[in-house]
Amino acid sequence: MAGLEHLLAALTPINLAFALFGVVAGTVIGAIPGLTATMSVAVLVPLTFAMPTSSALILMGAIYTGAIYGGAYSAILLNTPGTPSAIATTFDGYPLAKKGDGDYAITIACLASVIGGLVGALALMTLAPPLSQVALAFGSVEYFWLAIFGLSLIAALSEGSLLKGVAGGALGLLLSCIGVAEVAGDVRLTFGLQTLLSGIQIVAALIGLYSIPVLIDLVAQPGHHLQVDSGSRGFRLGEAVRYLWGDKINTIRSAVIGTVVGILPGAGGSIASLVSYSEARRTAKPGQAYGKGEPGGIIASESANNATVGGGFIPTLVLGIPGTPPDAVILGALLVQGVRTGPSLFTNQGEIVYTFIWGLILATILMLPTGLFIGRYAYRTIITLPKALLVPAIAFMTIIGSYAIRNNISDVIIMIVLGGLGWIIGRFGFTASPIVLGLILGPIAESGFVQAWTIGTATDDRFGMFFGRPISIAIIVFTLFTLLSPLVLARLQKIKEQAHAD
Amino acid sequence: MPTEPRSDTGGAVVSAILIGVACLVIWDSMSYMDKDSAVFPRTFAGVLIVASAAYIVKWLLGRGEAGPGADTGSLPRRVLLVGIMLGGTMAMPWIGFIGAALPVFAALTLVAMYDPWTRFRVLVYPLIGIAIVLGFFYLFREVLQVPLPTGDLFDS
Repeated sequence: MAGLEHLLAALTPINLAFALFGVVAGTVIGAIPGLTATMSVAVLVPLTFAMPTSSALILMGAIYTGAIYGGAYSAILLNTPGTPSAIATTFDGYPLAKKGDGDYAITIACLASVIGGLVGALALMTLAPPLSQVALAFGSVEYFWLAIFGLSLIAALSEGSLLKGVAGGALGLLLSCIGVAEVAGDVRLTFGLQTLLSGIQIVAALIGLYSIPVLIDLVAQPGHHLQVDSGSRGFRLGEAVRYLWGDKINTIRSAVIGTVVGILPGAGGSIASLVSYSEARRTAKPGQAYGKGEPGGIIASESANNATVGGGFIPTLVLGIPGTPPDAVILGALLVQGVRTGPSLFTNQGEIVYTFIWGLILATILMLPTGLFIGRYAYRTIITLPKALLVPAIAFMTIIGSYAIRNNISDVIIMIVLGGLGWIIGRFGFTASPIVLGLILGPIAESGFVQAWTIGTATDDRFGMFFGRPISIAIIVFTLFTLLSPLVLARLQKIKEQAHAD
Repeated sequence: MPTEPRSDTGGAVVSAILIGVACLVIWDSMSYMDKDSAVFPRTFAGVLIVASAAYIVKWLLGRGEAGPGADTGSLPRRVLLVGIMLGGTMAMPWIGFIGAALPVFAALTLVAMYDPWTRFRVLVYPLIGIAIVLGFFYLFREVLQVPLPTGDLFDS
């Protein structure tokens, strides 16, 4: 553990002020659909150029961690992930809010985010050099299998019909192919339409598929958006702490998954939250109804996505390879500051690094009061705003948020059209989540698959390339286990019941 | 969304449309210069065809699994919502961000209004709408430096 002097260096009033400002700014920006953590960091990076290096790092880390948490607000209250890493938060967060427990869901999300963020930061502080080797052990084929593992979640997300879920996932994967192919440069599936040439932007698609159907249903009927209980129930902190304590294995496991996935360059918070959600669902206790407002789903997603903050800094600082997209922006800012990342950073410039890590820990702790306070304000705003203002306000935010990602009107049109189509096919049991899963995992799966296929062909060992590497085998086994264990357990239960009946 | 086993003609129709989409993908992939670009879309077009065809077979056997179906509510308001959003977005390059956003906000307020219009609402709702639009305009254009459309019609 790094020394007390670094903690004291991080505890200066100016660093604390930066951490507080960063967390608040990041949380607010992250809560707006379309404004991602990457964008929040990128927008505020110029502020850091004139600062001392450790203060600049603390500010950027605080913005990043706040933005990842902020994405949970719109996921829970509007069924729209504020950032892609909050996708899995919608699965249980929104149903819980619909039941009238939006305040409870936000408190759970805040606590889980703080714990996940602390686990990631502590891993960065204590295990950075050895853990950074994980990033180097992952090749293209491992990314392909990781994406397939993520796709196995389709089985869990298919409400009613597995076949419809698989079809939705395949549709999402095909949608991810639209535009210029990353590997070979062919223009695919545009059918001559200029609008489709730049492809389907994932965040715009997320906003469309999740938010527009909510708006369409919201405008069709009078009555409140979320169920409202009379009287103030406070933050419901005690209730949330008790739940988290009861679900501590899920909390810690998700934080560890988030840290490890964060280390993998390019994987990011969305994959971390999906993988940990899948694990939480697979290991659900009897009586836990994931997908229907189970707080454990929010814990899994939020704990994992905030853990990627610390996890992502591990390869960024030790190897100079950004673990997540915001890390790439922060890496650029570090180079401007004259910091040379690499294995010797922790020894040569330990003062800066450890002060930053302590700053990140402080920012994560500060997220608890600020997150609870902002969350409560957001919740009260959403439940008290009249529908005639809520609908246009959300619609307006979806438009401006989708536009701001690439400054492209086509993204907004695609967002609205996808949302409308998503609502129509949703009426027939083709839900949005498998489509979104395919869209997110498609590019990772494709580039991993094509690269591994090319290497396998060049070395004349395609089978060995896909099925012969230890990490690949482990992921394949895990995927099969995830897919088959519910069937096997159900079969065993049936046999047991039959034996009892006899 | 609870589902119950019953005839699901809508689901079968969507499955048939998805098979058509998958065929379109395969047809498009014939034109790619590099076969690496075609492997992935063809593979998952195949998956889409198999899953959709399997569902149609299941439906033919009377084991369709219906989705939630259309709930009660105003269809015209739903269509208007999507139409107004789409129309406003398409008009944005011509009339600019504020020129499109203010009418869109006002129109959506009317579409989503179920309560009676009181004098207070007539006065306050437009003011809140203008504050939201201008507030976000300032945030995105000035703080976040997003180049929002100014409108070709107003460009000299």
